Amino acid sequence: MKKDMPYSVLQRERQFSGSDRVTLVALLLAAALPLLTSNILVQSVASQALIGFCGALAVHLMLRLGLLNFSVPGFMAVGGYAAAIAAEYGVQDLFALLGIAFSAPVVLAIPIGWIVLRLKGVYFVLVTYLLTEIVQLVIVETPSLTGGTNGLIGFPPTTFFGTELISGPAVYYTCYAAAIVALFVALWSTRSYGDIYDSQAHNETLAQSLGLDTARYKAQAFPVSAGVAGLGGFALVQLLITAHPLSFTAASSVNYIAYVLIGGAASLLGALLGTVVLVTAITQFSWSGEYSLGLFGLLLIFSVLFMRDGVVGVFTKIAHTIRGRNQLAYPATQGDPT
Amino acid sequence: MDTFLLALVIGAMFSAQYALIALGFTLVFGILGVVNFAHGSMYMLGGYVAYWSVSTLGLPYPIAVAIAVLFTGLLGALIEILLVHRIVEDHLSTLILTLGVSLVIVTGVSLIFGHEAPQFTFPIAGSIPLGPAYMPLDRLIVMIVSGVAILAVYLLIFRSAFGRAVRALSIDQSIARTYGMNPRVLFAVTMALSSGLAALAGALVTPILSLSPHAGESVLLTAFVVVILGGLGSIIGATWAAVITGMIQSFAGIYVGGSLGTLLLFVLVIAVLTVRPSGLFGAPARGA
Repeated sequence: MKKDMPYSVLQRERQFSGSDRVTLVALLLAAALPLLTSNILVQSVASQALIGFCGALAVHLMLRLGLLNFSVPGFMAVGGYAAAIAAEYGVQDLFALLGIAFSAPVVLAIPIGWIVLRLKGVYFVLVTYLLTEIVQLVIVETPSLTGGTNGLIGFPPTTFFGTELISGPAVYYTCYAAAIVALFVALWSTRSYGDIYDSQAHNETLAQSLGLDTARYKAQAFPVSAGVAGLGGFALVQLLITAHPLSFTAASSVNYIAYVLIGGAASLLGALLGTVVLVTAITQFSWSGEYSLGLFGLLLIFSVLFMRDGVVGVFTKIAHTIRGRNQLAYPATQGDPT
Repeated sequence: MDTFLLALVIGAMFSAQYALIALGFTLVFGILGVVNFAHGSMYMLGGYVAYWSVSTLGLPYPIAVAIAVLFTGLLGALIEILLVHRIVEDHLSTLILTLGVSLVIVTGVSLIFGHEAPQFTFPIAGSIPLGPAYMPLDRLIVMIVSGVAILAVYLLIFRSAFGRAVRALSIDQSIARTYGMNPRVLFAVTMALSSGLAALAGALVTPILSLSPHAGESVLLTAFVVVILGGLGSIIGATWAAVITGMIQSFAGIYVGGSLGTLLLFVLVIAVLTVRPSGLFGAPARGA
């Protein structure tokens, strides 16, 4: 099946990196949050972070291939609306709805990917932005199915083995379930094909000359990214108890991209850290009312100019500096000839 | 027949506006390689500076438009010199940087002028008969000024020493430097020109349509559609694509109806890209 993979890739696949382990452990620990605090605001911000994390993962997966994807809110809308419509038709089980929220964008992304993945660089960026606008217009133009500009409200609540998930902690765990599934899908994708994706991002022509079917891996990553975004859309619809087109605007794609770039585009940990930092910052900024958007903009400018490798890059530099100092302090441990 | 002519007239007006908006956007991409997400906010800022010049300083509208163009052009040059130039080689970072700049400008305008749309109207009203249809004078003036500005940009880029220099820089920066061209100055002038064009469009169009801190968002989307269709970086392509986009929006708006027409346009753009992945007149894409 993977006869076109270089040997080194076969050696490294399916092994978790250190940052992957930290990401996984951090998300597993997040399950304990409702046990540690009953503060509704904290749970709400944490739920928003989990939703943002799904969006950031979707951006990260395509960015690994060197493609900046603005269609994440569009596929979030597809996942969120598909689950809400399924709920209206009597499907309330959490696992079934997660499956629908993941599958619907995947199915849609396969033919769309065939068209948009032929585009490169900036054309891909702008067309994926356009895709989200198209999804918005389709929602507005199909009121009988999607509720149009009013959105879908009043659909039956999601259930977990028959228990309705409507309380604050239950909604948090619904968002958590979406985020953990999204993380496992992203881990599977990056561990299985991460090196192949990276090679395409760095030099697609060279990757092709080494025998990689780059079109195939792009066509594979795009629906996976869409499915991960769909899980985030499902969680957002559950948190807001409504599926509304304004929850999935093209402008919101900026947030998910910012989470990844500010956290660090090279790893899943970057997506997690960027989401946590920015969702918390946005919450803080929102207390500053009208300044919030500008402060967010300043943060973007600062990060791009002074933190090119994101928060993860800063931590890595600090770790390297400390390691360097230790080596200078104890030179005898480094192969002392005596 | 009357409806057809009306659609044609409205389409011509849309086309002129779209060309003016898209030209600056495609110019900056073609020469600097920057996808300028702050372009829409420059349009909005142009509208607000013109409004402030008329309402606070009491200046005549044409002078207010000139001030808007100069102020926004200067701001564009400063943004290029202080921020964009530091990372101009990194297309992804400049995209995010200009996004940040856009958010800061929108917030600044909201703080100074408030979130509500101000009363800003075009100083000339009325219409003139054009066959069976009537052409509003304000739209006609916008169309003429836009046409002159587009022609001026074309002459500047394709018939002047400055134009030859920036085109040389966009093709091969290292060779252009060897011949004494200074990217620091030329990039700043290009950004000023682009921002000034967006401001001109904003100062001319917002009194007819509407002015609000978020007025630039839809304009940015229009610029996207036009430059994707025409081919990024192509001035000729942007002009033709603006005509196609303007006509489709006008005819679809009259014969099909509001958002369905826009949806049709977006689908058409994607369909064109399946056949010509670099747009109608575009070069192969730069990375981002």
